[in-house]
Amino acid sequence: MSRPAHPHAMAPKTPGKTRTAPPQIPASWWSTSRMRAYLAFDATGFVYLLVGFLAIRLVWALGSGQGAYDSALGALENPIYIVWNVFALLCVIGVGVRFFRLFPKAQPARLGPAKPPPGPVIHAGLYLAWIGITVLLSAILAGGLFA
Amino acid sequence: MKTFLLKVEPVIWLLFGQGILIGTILLTAWLLVIGILIPLGVVPSDALAYERALRLATANLLFLPIGKLLLLAIMALPLWKGAHHIRSLLVDFGGGERDPAVASLLYLIATAGSVAAVMAVIRL
Repeated sequence: MSRPAHPHAMAPKTPGKTRTAPPQIPASWWSTSRMRAYLAFDATGFVYLLVGFLAIRLVWALGSGQGAYDSALGALENPIYIVWNVFALLCVIGVGVRFFRLFPKAQPARLGPAKPPPGPVIHAGLYLAWIGITVLLSAILAGGLFA
Repeated sequence: MKTFLLKVEPVIWLLFGQGILIGTILLTAWLLVIGILIPLGVVPSDALAYERALRLATANLLFLPIGKLLLLAIMALPLWKGAHHIRSLLVDFGGGERDPAVASLLYLIATAGSVAAVMAVIRL
């Protein structure tokens, strides 16, 4: 007939080291290169928020009539706006490269009977869509298509 | 407020995810042409003169208001990417205690911006 096991029957012979204080985050946690890249990725949120509101301003002006639109489009010729837009474009490209690198890793291993395609295929699809849509949209906006 | 934020989290994550994916894909050409090439004179400003800009913005594709939908995506989706990443950054630096208040404020800004974006395309 079996009997209940001793509560410490599976315990190791020598006890492990016991922590005497909860773990602390090092004060310089943000200074490692991996964390800096992660924080920079998060910080692009400020850029996206501002770019979104600047786009709203331009489209709102478009709906307000030719005078307001010409004024809003003309304001973009200010060197501060140009420098800002170059910086914003670099941020957007940085976000895209990092996000597309992470994207295949974030896919579920299996979705019902379907398995996601291999990482390089997902990568190629994302970059193809990004470059293709950028070229097409740039051509339309620049007057090369549907002029 | 914390419970409410947890309830709407799937919607926020959807908008945030599309803000990164679609927002990034669309903003590249937007910033390149409208923000840099036209102001620098590389592309003549006639390319986006008022009449043509309005025609593109109100263009339809198979009864779908494609111009307005693209503009809405360019305006509204980056706001959600921005709000969610700023929230994440502030949690990293300031801890999670103030997160419900900070998150509410940021998502309120994104919501207000999205409403303004919808109104902007309706006015076209």
